[in-house]
Amino acid sequence: MLKYRHAFVVGLQSNLVYRWNFAARSLFSIFHLVFVFIFWGAIYAGNASIGGFGFAQTLTYFVVLFVLQFFIGAFNEDYQISEDIRNGLINQFLLKPINYFAYRLSVFAAARVVSGALGLMALLVALPFLRGYLVLPHDGWRIALGIPAMALTGLIQFSIAYCFGMLAFWFLEIQGFVILSMAVETVLGGQFFPLDLLPPAAFRAVSYLPFYYQAYFPNAILTGRIGLDAAARGLAIQAFWAAVLVCVAEVVWRRGLRRHTAAGG
Amino acid sequence: MMFRGDLFIWALVELFWISVNVLMIEVVYSHTSTVAGWSKYEMLLLAGTSMLIQRFLMGFFWSGIFEMGRNVRSGAFDFFLAQPGDPLFMASTRKLEMDGLLNSFVAAGLVVYSVRKLGLHPGPSDLALYACMVACGVVIHYSALVMSMSLSFWITSSQGVEGSYFTLMEFSRIPREAFSKGLASALFVWALPVVVVSNAPARVLLHGFEPSWALGLCAATLAWFALAVAVFRSGLRRYTSASS
Repeated sequence: MLKYRHAFVVGLQSNLVYRWNFAARSLFSIFHLVFVFIFWGAIYAGNASIGGFGFAQTLTYFVVLFVLQFFIGAFNEDYQISEDIRNGLINQFLLKPINYFAYRLSVFAAARVVSGALGLMALLVALPFLRGYLVLPHDGWRIALGIPAMALTGLIQFSIAYCFGMLAFWFLEIQGFVILSMAVETVLGGQFFPLDLLPPAAFRAVSYLPFYYQAYFPNAILTGRIGLDAAARGLAIQAFWAAVLVCVAEVVWRRGLRRHTAAGG
Repeated sequence: MMFRGDLFIWALVELFWISVNVLMIEVVYSHTSTVAGWSKYEMLLLAGTSMLIQRFLMGFFWSGIFEMGRNVRSGAFDFFLAQPGDPLFMASTRKLEMDGLLNSFVAAGLVVYSVRKLGLHPGPSDLALYACMVACGVVIHYSALVMSMSLSFWITSSQGVEGSYFTLMEFSRIPREAFSKGLASALFVWALPVVVVSNAPARVLLHGFEPSWALGLCAATLAWFALAVAVFRSGLRRYTSASS
């Protein structure tokens, strides 16, 4: 564990080098909250409730989503991993007693600590304007289930990014795959609109996909969009998907290594 | 056409993003009949116009401008300075992205579909004005992106800053009427022309020629392009070549 703790600390330091980029990104993300406020405000004008939820509840959903993305969202891990493979940097991990997945997960966790802190700072800037619109339920079980759900969401997001990064073993250019996957994850993860606004059959079908657990699920627990039964059942499905994706990541790594040619002195 | 597989993937990516935006409008209008007084097909027309402008930007300029930041950091920007032409023009027009251009047909199809659903019959002058306004929109988007990427001359990496372009351009999918008078209206409608860029052309098809919108868009286009060139040139003065 010590080596991964060191990887985490080094990851923290290297991410702090890019603190201004994260800061710029988080500050510009406030514009997204302004967009949400104006766009959804216009949708709710004349409608007290949409899909069973009021404007304040929907705004709270997007604000929590904003925070979650900075704390547990995969930003460019897929690109970093693909660069390791393309540039041959991965060779050093083959010669050392270190698990590449665990190493990358440690660096991912470090990056999220930095981006999460800066995301919170951006939220603090926006909070005086949003405070009157935020409504969070006070049930204790939501925190108790929300925390493991967030941890599993982070693992799912990372594992998917890891698998896409591994595609560099097979393809020279993976950005197309990454952006395509991002588009799917954005819509089926509930980042464009809360998934409960979909027709009931579509919502039910989506709840069995891993994307549902990438953003919507922990958010829905924390913001009161789903009840205790749905949260407990969802947590079991989420754990299943997290386990599946970690296994897929391992399989892809092993298969990729078979194709890998370590060149250079 | 050398990288056909890549072209196919990117065309699919662009098509999917367009579909996501259409899906969002479908979902929203399944719960309400109007948004800021705009019906579903009026909203699709607005979204189609916004996407058309973005696809043209992606097709003609995106790769060149995107690589500009990377080239400034690596010193490869020297190549453009050695070219017999304006460095901004040479750097930003170096590559054509076929996937963006192919999907501009999809965006245009969405505009045509919405116009038919709305029962509109725009005349040749309306269509010509619409095309001019879309071109103005492309210039404004180009200018915003050049300014974002020019930050590479000052900071280590413009990664994250370029994302600000996409965040700001989200506003181009909102009708002008959604902005009540106040700070948001002053900022997003007047200071940053992100709303005018798509609303002005869409309104030409919906309501015909409106002088205030046309003149406002022309003025914004000239101002933003001049500002982008000034920022780029100012950044260029800081550029130190990395050649040996």
